[in-house]
Amino acid sequence: MSARPFHLGWFYSKGFGPKAWKHQWAGPKSAVARFTKPDTAVELARAMERACFDYFMIEDSSNVPYTYQGSHHAYLRHSVDTPKLDPTVLAPYLIAATEKLGIVVTCSTTEYHPFMLARKMNTLDHVSEGRIGWNVVTGSNDGGAQNYGRDKQYPHDERYDRADEFLEVAHGLWAGWEPDALVLDLEKGVFADGDKVHPLHHEGRYYRSRGPLSAPRSPQGSPVICQAGGSARGQAFAGRWAETIIASASTPERMKAYRDNVRATAAAHGRDPDQIKILFLVSPTVDETRERAEDRYRRSLEIDDNEVEYQLASLSRQSGIDFSQFPMDEPLPDTLVSNGHQSMVAQWQGRVLADVIRGNPLNSGSNAFVGTADDVAAHMDEVMQEVGGDGFLLVNSYFSRRYVTEVCDGLVPELQRRGLTRTAYEHDHLRDNLMAF
Amino acid sequence: MSANPFHLAWFGAGGFGVKSWNKTWSGRGGRDWASPQLWVDIAQALERARFDYIIIEDSSYVPDAYGSNSKAYLSSATATPKMDPTVLAPIMSHLTSRIGIVPTLSVTEYHPYMLARKINTLDHMSNGRTGWNIVTSSSHRAAQNYGKDLLEEHDLRYDIADEFFDVSCRLWESWDADAVTLDADHGVWADYEKVHTIDFEGKFFKVRGPLNAPQSPQGRPVFTQAGGSARGKQFAARTANSVISGVEGGPAAMKRFRDDIRAQATGYGRDPDDVKVLFMASPVVGETDEEAQAKRARQVAFAEAHPELGLLHLSRHSGIDFAQFPLDEPIPDTAKTNGHQQMLAQAIGKTPREFLRKSLSTMEFVGSPDTVAAKMEEVMAEVGGDGFLIANFDLNRRYVSEIADGLVPALQRRGLTRTEYTHSRFRDNLLEF
Repeated sequence: MSARPFHLGWFYSKGFGPKAWKHQWAGPKSAVARFTKPDTAVELARAMERACFDYFMIEDSSNVPYTYQGSHHAYLRHSVDTPKLDPTVLAPYLIAATEKLGIVVTCSTTEYHPFMLARKMNTLDHVSEGRIGWNVVTGSNDGGAQNYGRDKQYPHDERYDRADEFLEVAHGLWAGWEPDALVLDLEKGVFADGDKVHPLHHEGRYYRSRGPLSAPRSPQGSPVICQAGGSARGQAFAGRWAETIIASASTPERMKAYRDNVRATAAAHGRDPDQIKILFLVSPTVDETRERAEDRYRRSLEIDDNEVEYQLASLSRQSGIDFSQFPMDEPLPDTLVSNGHQSMVAQWQGRVLADVIRGNPLNSGSNAFVGTADDVAAHMDEVMQEVGGDGFLLVNSYFSRRYVTEVCDGLVPELQRRGLTRTAYEHDHLRDNLMAF
Repeated sequence: MSANPFHLAWFGAGGFGVKSWNKTWSGRGGRDWASPQLWVDIAQALERARFDYIIIEDSSYVPDAYGSNSKAYLSSATATPKMDPTVLAPIMSHLTSRIGIVPTLSVTEYHPYMLARKINTLDHMSNGRTGWNIVTSSSHRAAQNYGKDLLEEHDLRYDIADEFFDVSCRLWESWDADAVTLDADHGVWADYEKVHTIDFEGKFFKVRGPLNAPQSPQGRPVFTQAGGSARGKQFAARTANSVISGVEGGPAAMKRFRDDIRAQATGYGRDPDDVKVLFMASPVVGETDEEAQAKRARQVAFAEAHPELGLLHLSRHSGIDFAQFPLDEPIPDTAKTNGHQQMLAQAIGKTPREFLRKSLSTMEFVGSPDTVAAKMEEVMAEVGGDGFLIANFDLNRRYVSEIADGLVPALQRRGLTRTEYTHSRFRDNLLEF
């Protein structure tokens, strides 16, 4: 084995909503129309389990955006981050369809109360027998806040201050039942020992919760914490809490720099940096020959008018900035600032808008993984060796069933052959599998 | 057919937690309490018996009302643990095809947008078989888990519920039914003119909308509600598609309750036939009448030998520590509660032991399947409708089978309950007769 083995996850981008619909290989319209049913996600989860992925991460956001042109028109026309159904309802279906795969659900700290979130995660972890993760988001679009009674999102750094306290409360609740509080003495008829179940009595700056949780400790105790913040404050948060991080960087050097930084932050919080697995987003294009893959990749970069509007609406949603105000062929102002995804917007300052749209960092430069399964596996190996770890997170917002098989039945067997990814799950719990190497 | 056909539903008392666990037919009930399998088995059995729906009861705290600590509740697994019903509901929906699945969700714990979104997703995924059992919470302990000192006062909770209901309905209807076009040729996914913000600003909630998912098969879920107080009944008459009642006093009181709900519903401009009142029942069924009566006698003897088990429930529901009252002295009329009003009113003047004896069921249906079916027919003929909600705290698979495979066929032979589902959606089946 030339490199240490690495982990694989799948970022279920655009959440529980339409996948391929106007795209190639979308299938019959009757199948596309079932976007509110679990079919696609369940099939993907089974394919991933076959390929021994670590986890399936369901992205989420909770509003019909209207940032671009001040209207939800473009968002609905192109289905840009809408609709999204509730991921906590999808997760139980995925749990029921799999046995070993981790299921990571996105829930926002500015929409949930800590008690409700802690309770749902505890139940999900019980029902999945220890395969649950929580992707912690803090909300970034004002439209989301407006559905929950507020005019705006809290300021960026305050969101993370709140999230810090939220995690303190949640972990406190998860620890409220001692591991041996369940007695289950059938003869004496004693179910649990009240002396081993403790109220939390949390009274903080943002939250109060008495506790205890209304159910015993779950198999993992707490869900695996997943996080994606790229800003300085977001990275500090991740360094303190995250066990796996969703990262995006355009070159191996930047990937390495990001990873080294997060690991240093974690160490500063007194944590073992190996307890944080940083997975980098990739969208490989795999085909039977290198030429065919490259041709497909080239065509994927051709952007028609619909796609331009799609991209502008998408950038607007993520940043909270209406990009319809900027000319396509001029540099964006250096003063561009977001209360939403800060680190992302900082990268766009001074760049020509048309280039920002075309230069999707996921799929460009040395991070474009294009070729045969053998080519792509070799490339992934090479990149991981340079970065140092910890693996990749597949993403393709409008994937088709064909794409799933290309990855799970084409690329992954090649990775396995090279000893780069696991061929069997060693453990039953998500955390144990994630930390196994 | 001597009476109109009536509806059957099941009340999953005690919620997603420990059911029967240390009794004769518990099986692995103690060890497997966190598995959804028992619930899946129950739902499939009830679907076989053509039940309308199953409610997953819920509350979100570890009780400590009796004796002022949680020891007795935890020791006996009474009303705790309870896990989140929104996690269980999808699994039950997934493994059934016709029965309505009704999780209990509290308006004092959820934000309307979050609740509307979860219910919309559940209704999509169940193909129109989702209901919402609307509760307002009744314990300070639940409020304290959610950052409040005390629960809101009883009637105010229903004011909140009224507004919550209105916001939710507007969200469920914020996408026109034909908003999704799926026009792949022109790249038009949905028609933006058919998706509407709601811009709701009320006394308790402020919500912009629209919901971020299309209208679900039923649009609104089926609403069930159990409020027995005057304010609770008013709310139920305005909103519920099915009211669940534990009213005491036999068929005459049941008829009064139902007539009252129907009159109030009419007052709200609703068709009273759109509100199905189902009465709680815990039939005891045996191969012969004698055997059923003997079984019932054993249950009563057990309950009388363990009065604390019943008092745990009574304390939790009423918010009053019944550990303070002597078992055989009348409960004073000075007792007050901010919890279940109706239950306390029924307890005052009785001794705790007397009250316990009556609290298991609103009326006793004991006998062979034929005997119980005849009794149910008789009661329904007197009350006027609309059916029964079966509940049993010591819930095991044998009991479920006795009802689904014993009692229900007897009811079906008499033409009292359906033998097939007519519709695929929950509301259509509920309102069919």
